[in-house]
Amino acid sequence: MNKELEHSFVEQLQKHQNIVHKVCRLYTNNADAHNDLFQEITIQLWRAFPKFRGDAKFSTWMYRVGLNTAITLYRKSKRSINTQEFDTVEFKIKAEEYDDTEEQQLKLLYQAVHQLNDIEKALVFLYLEDKDYREISATLGITEVNARVKMNRVKKKLKTILNP
Amino acid sequence: MDELELLKKDWNKSENQYKSFTDCDIYKMSHKKSSSIVKTLFYISVAEFVFWILINVLPYFSSETYKESLDKSYHNPLFVGITIFGFVVIFIFMYLLYNSYKAISTTDSAKKLMESILKTRKIIKYYVIYNLVVIFISVPLTFYFEFNQNIEFHDQVEAFNSKQMLFLYGFTVLLTGVFLLVFWLFYKLIYGILLKRLNRNYNELKKLEV
Repeated sequence: MNKELEHSFVEQLQKHQNIVHKVCRLYTNNADAHNDLFQEITIQLWRAFPKFRGDAKFSTWMYRVGLNTAITLYRKSKRSINTQEFDTVEFKIKAEEYDDTEEQQLKLLYQAVHQLNDIEKALVFLYLEDKDYREISATLGITEVNARVKMNRVKKKLKTILNP
Repeated sequence: MDELELLKKDWNKSENQYKSFTDCDIYKMSHKKSSSIVKTLFYISVAEFVFWILINVLPYFSSETYKESLDKSYHNPLFVGITIFGFVVIFIFMYLLYNSYKAISTTDSAKKLMESILKTRKIIKYYVIYNLVVIFISVPLTFYFEFNQNIEFHDQVEAFNSKQMLFLYGFTVLLTGVFLLVFWLFYKLIYGILLKRLNRNYNELKKLEV
């Protein structure tokens, strides 16, 4: 039984691992920290898995556990200092799409998002993942109205960071 | 174009840029030790219980004379009552703490999760306050008992003039106060560091409700 459970967990997480990677991308600045957070989210997902019921989608369930780990549970490891920044290393646009202004703009945008606080990042993340306000509010535990208000503030804040 | 829309376009395009972990990697990772804040909090609370129980128990084994005088004290029903009360309180705190740990769930909303963790921290805080209060009360109480039972001490104190008495009182109060303050700052520091980020994020969510 346990083996079966484990197998099913690993298989599903392997398939949906990009969700975890994306959380890590927003909440960490370098490859070591990224992998560290990825591991912690995996541990938390596995722990919560026995209680996971098929009535929710595995991916939806992952958003919650992943964000909760990044925002609340994760303690930054010592390993996460003194390594190269993600934005300059991993973030490359393919040659055929190369567009100086857009690439530059995106780079600045990612940098701006990294300057947001944990809660604002969560809003941006769920927005980028195309979640509606109902789901955003349920994931964060705030009302839908407040989620909208906060989202608008985040957009404004991003504008200010980009055009000081 | 809206900044976030531009980002969204790229966000969905960048699916393939992440290193893909294999089943084996994920299997290994899921069995690693967690370094989450809840686990740290759990270890601290266990250490807390062990520490305060040791503080109560160790002196008993450390000196023969103290052991003897304590054994004698157990003839006093008041002392027995206090001891039993102390253990009951410890068990109540352990029970409350166990329940609050069980209530922490990563599948709750972010705010609910933070609230459960803060509630757990509060229980530990009350436990610490309880212990500090007990110390605070037991200092004058010990003084009183010694005064009544220890003839040598009684005579010594009796011989004091009012100035010396005042000094003795002042010194005792000051010493207890400093001791408590150091303890309190120590706790503030531990939990302050551990929960700084959580508190900040919780306030950020709370702020929206106002």
